[in-house]
Amino acid sequence: MRAGSEVTTGPIPVGQFVTLVRNTIRHDQLFQNQVITGEITQWKQYPSGHTYFTLRDSDGQISAVIWKGRCNIDPLIEEGSVVVVIANLDLYAKAGKIQLVVNRIEPVNKLGLLEEQKKLLIESLRKEGLLDRTRQELPAIPKHIAIITGTGSAALSDMNRLIDNRWPGLRRTIIGVTVQGENASNEIVRGILAAGKLSDLNTAARLNQTPVDLIIVGRGGGAPEDLWAFNLEPVVRAIVASKVPVISAVGHESDMLVSDLVADLRASTPSNAVELCVPEFDYHQMLIHHLFERLDESTNRLLQDCRHNLQFIQSRLLNAPLKGIYNASQRVSDLSNRLTVAVTSKFATAREKLQSLNNTIELVMQKTIADETTRLAVLESSLNSVHPRNVLDRGYSMITKQDGTIVSNSQDLTKGQQVILALSDGEAKATIDEIEQKGE
Amino acid sequence: MSKDMNYSKAVQRLEEIVQTLERGGIPLDETLKLYEEGAELLEFCQQELASAEGKLNEMRLSDVEEKLTK
Repeated sequence: MRAGSEVTTGPIPVGQFVTLVRNTIRHDQLFQNQVITGEITQWKQYPSGHTYFTLRDSDGQISAVIWKGRCNIDPLIEEGSVVVVIANLDLYAKAGKIQLVVNRIEPVNKLGLLEEQKKLLIESLRKEGLLDRTRQELPAIPKHIAIITGTGSAALSDMNRLIDNRWPGLRRTIIGVTVQGENASNEIVRGILAAGKLSDLNTAARLNQTPVDLIIVGRGGGAPEDLWAFNLEPVVRAIVASKVPVISAVGHESDMLVSDLVADLRASTPSNAVELCVPEFDYHQMLIHHLFERLDESTNRLLQDCRHNLQFIQSRLLNAPLKGIYNASQRVSDLSNRLTVAVTSKFATAREKLQSLNNTIELVMQKTIADETTRLAVLESSLNSVHPRNVLDRGYSMITKQDGTIVSNSQDLTKGQQVILALSDGEAKATIDEIEQKGE
Repeated sequence: MSKDMNYSKAVQRLEEIVQTLERGGIPLDETLKLYEEGAELLEFCQQELASAEGKLNEMRLSDVEEKLTK
């Protein structure tokens, strides 16, 4: 290809060639005023007033420039924003660089796009029957919970605290993952897979652990974009594929994520997940205790009835005519023996075992009460240590106005004001003579 | 006791046993059999309560994965 009118015989200098390409591009309508959408990276606004960035999506990218004053830039536009631009393609000859010269740029409602993707995902899950499939039952008492959530998050400490309130020392493995941003969905999926492996009997045996029998996956509240990983297909599919029941516990009550729709149980918040799956130890200890007492009492009563019946028969036989009395008396005696044997062999052994079991329960209950008492005592003493009285004992005094409000700043005072000084053993009234404020 | 016995089933069966015994009017053999079954179930339940207590492991994802591939 040669430069139209400039007929040359030798090679074209590169500058000329590039200019030729540039002119071709500039005159081709296909490359002018194109409407293009993509995500912004390397967004740089220079002091000169020009703005440079790269527009990209998963399949490609191109450099772009907004010349100073060429168009309004929405202040919401930043690195990572998804935008629509109207632009001309151009070639910067000096650098041989192809770029978009933007005439107009508008942010796209990213959340709107995401919402659309979420709807599509829900629709396809519904078609596959995954939304109304039979859910796995939660264990009545979980023996090993895997919690997949943000490392060191408030949601995690809330869950841990609540678990220990309900069932002190319940066995659990926390798998710390990133719950928002680009890596979140990948890490959450890997967390669910790892928890799945910990539920495998052979793996658990190899690690000398109790197999995981319940998974809680979630995070605390945040902006919709922050929770978005839980709306993504890989996370949703991992929950569906889990052989261990999964509780989805994301955000607040009002947040409804796709993970909530497919999980075996949806919890409205991370703390709610704990309430739904961790029973209260004290309640169950008490339940077992009462069942023991009822079993023991009812059986004892029935055995007592048997004894009374036998005694009654024996006494009637004593008063009966002599005929046949020997055989009958013999039978009663046999019965009586059998009762004794049965009671000693079966009842007594089982009872003895149960009695020791019950003693253990009582010991545990006493220990729980003792622990609570100690905890209260500790709380009380820490409360006491911050009591103002203790400070007063050390020689400080507290100033209150006449309406009882505490004075902590000199600005709160006026000259001539009546105040009350609280001392460790009484009060004193005083008047403010002068106020001096320390420099800020 | 059957292999698929679990805590909920055990408590439910215990409740039935206790109610039968409380109603009374059953032969001695039956009484002792029920008591034995009840004792066994209570022991099972107590073990279930005790076996939920264990360690708290807190790990980063990569540490869990490393532990699993070892």
